[in-house]
Amino acid sequence: ADTITWKVQSHWPGSSSSYEDSLKRIKRVIEERTDGQLKLELYEAGQLFKAQETFNAVSRGVIQMGTISPAYAQDKMTLAGIASGLPFAFRNVWEASYFHKNLGFEDMLREEAAKFNVYYSTDKVYPTEMVSKKPINSWEDFKGLKIRSSGALQKFLTEAGAAGTYVPGGELYQALSSGVVDAAHWGAAQGAASMGLYEVAKYHVQPALNIAGTDAFIVSQKALDKLPEGMAKIVKDALDEQFWIRTSEYLYKEKITLAKVQAEQGVKINTMPQDVQDRLAKVAQKTWDEEAKRSDKAAEAVDKLKGFLSDLGYL
Amino acid sequence: MSFLQKLINGVTRLNDVLGRWIALLVFVMTALLLLEVVCRYLLNSPTVWTSELTQFVFGVYAIMAGGYVMAHKGHVNVDLLYSRFSVRTQAIIDVFTSVLFYIFILAFLYFASSMAWESFQGSETTYSAWNPPVWPVKAFMPLAIVLVLLQGTVKLLRDIAVAINPDNALVLKDSIDDGTEEPH
Amino acid sequence: MSIEMITLLFFGSLLLFLVLGLPLTFVLGGVSVVFLYFTWGPDAFYMVASQIWSTMGSFSLVAIPLFVFMAMVLERTGVAKDLYRMMFLWWGGLRGGLAIGTLVICAIFAAMCGISGAAVVAMGTIALPSMLERGYDKRMVLGCINTGGGWGILIPPSILMILYSLITGVSVGQMFAAGVLPGLLLMVLTCAYILIRCYFQPELAPALPKEERASWPEKLKALRAVILPMLIVVMVLGSIIAGITTPTEAAAMGVFGALLSAVVYRKMSWELMRDASIRTFKLTGMIMWILFAAHAFSAAYQSMGAQELFEGWITSIPGGPWAVIITMMVIIFFLAMVLDPVGIMLITLPVFLPVVKAMGFDPVWFGILFVINMEIGYMTPPFGFNLFYLKGVVPPSITMKDIYVSVIPFVLVEIVGIALIMMFPEIATYLPQLFF
Ligand code: NA
Ligand code: NA
Repeated sequence: ADTITWKVQSHWPGSSSSYEDSLKRIKRVIEERTDGQLKLELYEAGQLFKAQETFNAVSRGVIQMGTISPAYAQDKMTLAGIASGLPFAFRNVWEASYFHKNLGFEDMLREEAAKFNVYYSTDKVYPTEMVSKKPINSWEDFKGLKIRSSGALQKFLTEAGAAGTYVPGGELYQALSSGVVDAAHWGAAQGAASMGLYEVAKYHVQPALNIAGTDAFIVSQKALDKLPEGMAKIVKDALDEQFWIRTSEYLYKEKITLAKVQAEQGVKINTMPQDVQDRLAKVAQKTWDEEAKRSDKAAEAVDKLKGFLSDLGYL
Repeated sequence: MSFLQKLINGVTRLNDVLGRWIALLVFVMTALLLLEVVCRYLLNSPTVWTSELTQFVFGVYAIMAGGYVMAHKGHVNVDLLYSRFSVRTQAIIDVFTSVLFYIFILAFLYFASSMAWESFQGSETTYSAWNPPVWPVKAFMPLAIVLVLLQGTVKLLRDIAVAINPDNALVLKDSIDDGTEEPH
Repeated sequence: MSIEMITLLFFGSLLLFLVLGLPLTFVLGGVSVVFLYFTWGPDAFYMVASQIWSTMGSFSLVAIPLFVFMAMVLERTGVAKDLYRMMFLWWGGLRGGLAIGTLVICAIFAAMCGISGAAVVAMGTIALPSMLERGYDKRMVLGCINTGGGWGILIPPSILMILYSLITGVSVGQMFAAGVLPGLLLMVLTCAYILIRCYFQPELAPALPKEERASWPEKLKALRAVILPMLIVVMVLGSIIAGITTPTEAAAMGVFGALLSAVVYRKMSWELMRDASIRTFKLTGMIMWILFAAHAFSAAYQSMGAQELFEGWITSIPGGPWAVIITMMVIIFFLAMVLDPVGIMLITLPVFLPVVKAMGFDPVWFGILFVINMEIGYMTPPFGFNLFYLKGVVPPSITMKDIYVSVIPFVLVEIVGIALIMMFPEIATYLPQLFF
């Protein structure tokens, strides 16, 4: 049979661990299970489309597949804000997994993406954590911080009282190094390490600002429909399996990276005091309600989330 | 003055006048960035909107420059061989190469319009803390391309006229020539 | 069709239309669209629009109009003229003295600015007329500005180094530290070249005749001309180093400083502001439209499978590790003739870096070679961003041919620089090892 080639635009640069572990993995698995009939041609961040443009490109069928952060699709998908992370909701990664896969949040996301001829599949769930030049030992410490942030978290941090500011990725290292900002988040430990942030900021702040499905695969429905009998299922199954494998692998690598930077670069873990955490959690809940207003579906998802968190005894 | 010259002048003037106004945006960009420095460094309360607004202003500034630069013959080319040809040969070559110009500009126009329209329909926002709508900026893309297209088209008409009769080169000016200005 | 064949046709048609005199931006854009049609189909035109949109949203580029505007104001107010008059009074007796002064200003500019185009256009505005006025050979002047204007990506801060780090995982801090000594080395080498050449060919950069040389009181009085430019440098560099601003915001500080200078010179007027803003608009527009199309062009080339081409080549080079490194350098050099730097990085680094690391070379050191090579690519004919930027700013009496010819000796000097860094890797690796 003819081989089919898909162009896959990643939002990860080549040096990102996810490029290797997520993207190259799925390529290997899909090519193996289709006996080489479906080939994935991988493109690093920005090669064909910038991250913000990838959803549109896949939706139009210009390229067949891509990876994104759901934030980049938020104007299309009203659930994207929830998918890319409500602050201080989950406390453990497994809870986010359970919410996505067992409580049906992933299905809701798929339903919304399908309206744009896109098949949506979360790559993994993981925490977003801050690095800081100064430790946070009190509410005053927190309020005094200039934090490089973006998107919903910037709004949240600003509302909570810190000075949230946006600095583009290209200027982040410089800004943190010279003190234009005091703290920043770029993924968690692996992300910060990949940007060299621990060279200039020695505190790794916990707990996570959010835990969420911040990386996702998107596939053109048109491209899926064109596949020979049974192949679409192979692709979808491979993506579902990927979620579980990558979520625990990523968590493992987070721990390893954190241990490494602690040992080699003198990074210290800074756990925010309980009263700071409590105050942040309180502000966070307001932003959840904001997200719920985006659509009926969003309201339903936030309700579901609150129920789940109540069951866990967090609310 | 011939109808063609009037047409050329009209389009060139349009680009020139628009450009003179848009050129002032450089003050806006400077002011926005300085404002952010003051807010963040002196007042310790960075704004959520300045850097993004600067970016927007810059995008408009950069894309809208296309027509103005063309009206002033400012898009650089390689004149190594080209400058040795006669005026008529140059015009004939320009008519030929304009095919590539149109291919680029029309493809860009179609997809930029579709992009801007999609942004408007879906009320696309930037998903930042400020979260402004994107379509007003995207809409400048097709507008800017149309201006370039107009300037390119009057240039093509002039080239055709010159290719037919080289004497036309003397009477038809296709741009505002500020290239003779030596630096002071 | 094979990627080799596509590459040949792709770059061939680029050169053909360039020679036919169509402006660069339309050549790049048009060729991209035509080739996308045949290799991918009309849907792919969306990518062209999308790349242009992304370029409009690229924050580091905001520095271009700001630095250009700063230069325009400094030129129009006479600050730049006085600065060159001062340099001539002090170093007028030295053949090539102004060229050396220009290179020093270029290096300072490079430390203020992370991109390359702004410095070339700014120095083309400030330095070129002052040197031509004093009888300097136009090719000497052009080469000098072209070379010095490119240092912005080698001397930190540098947007390209940050990109290099993102793609390869090397530390940004180490890259920045590694760029300092090679930047100084290139400056010293270029100065040496100018001094030696002008010593033997005084007509290239005439010295001030003995009887016209200034007296000490005159010289000291002229020193006032340094105050305002120094103040601007302190404002820009100081605010970056002290953590007051990001590099892009620092450009706005530069504009602020230039406007202050206009007030001090009593030249602040609506006329001057409008004039400077319009020239800035024209030059920035020229640069940006080239970048728009260049980004579409390299995305198009990447979509055709450019990476595979180099994967194939790199694995089949005979000879030892050094042969591989040199081949890589040659590939980058040739790519830099036709592609924008970001495109080159995205295409080659994922292929090259694993090989470089496997052979036991230091990726920081390789990164410096890479960046210098790209700088050379910026200034080598037929395509090079600095060449075109310079063309956009020079008076019409200077042709593209002048610019092309002018860079030859300067490129050779930079190649000597690269060779030295290859032979003595410590030039690049000493500082990063010291600090990290
Ligand atoms: Na620099
Ligand atoms: Na070149």
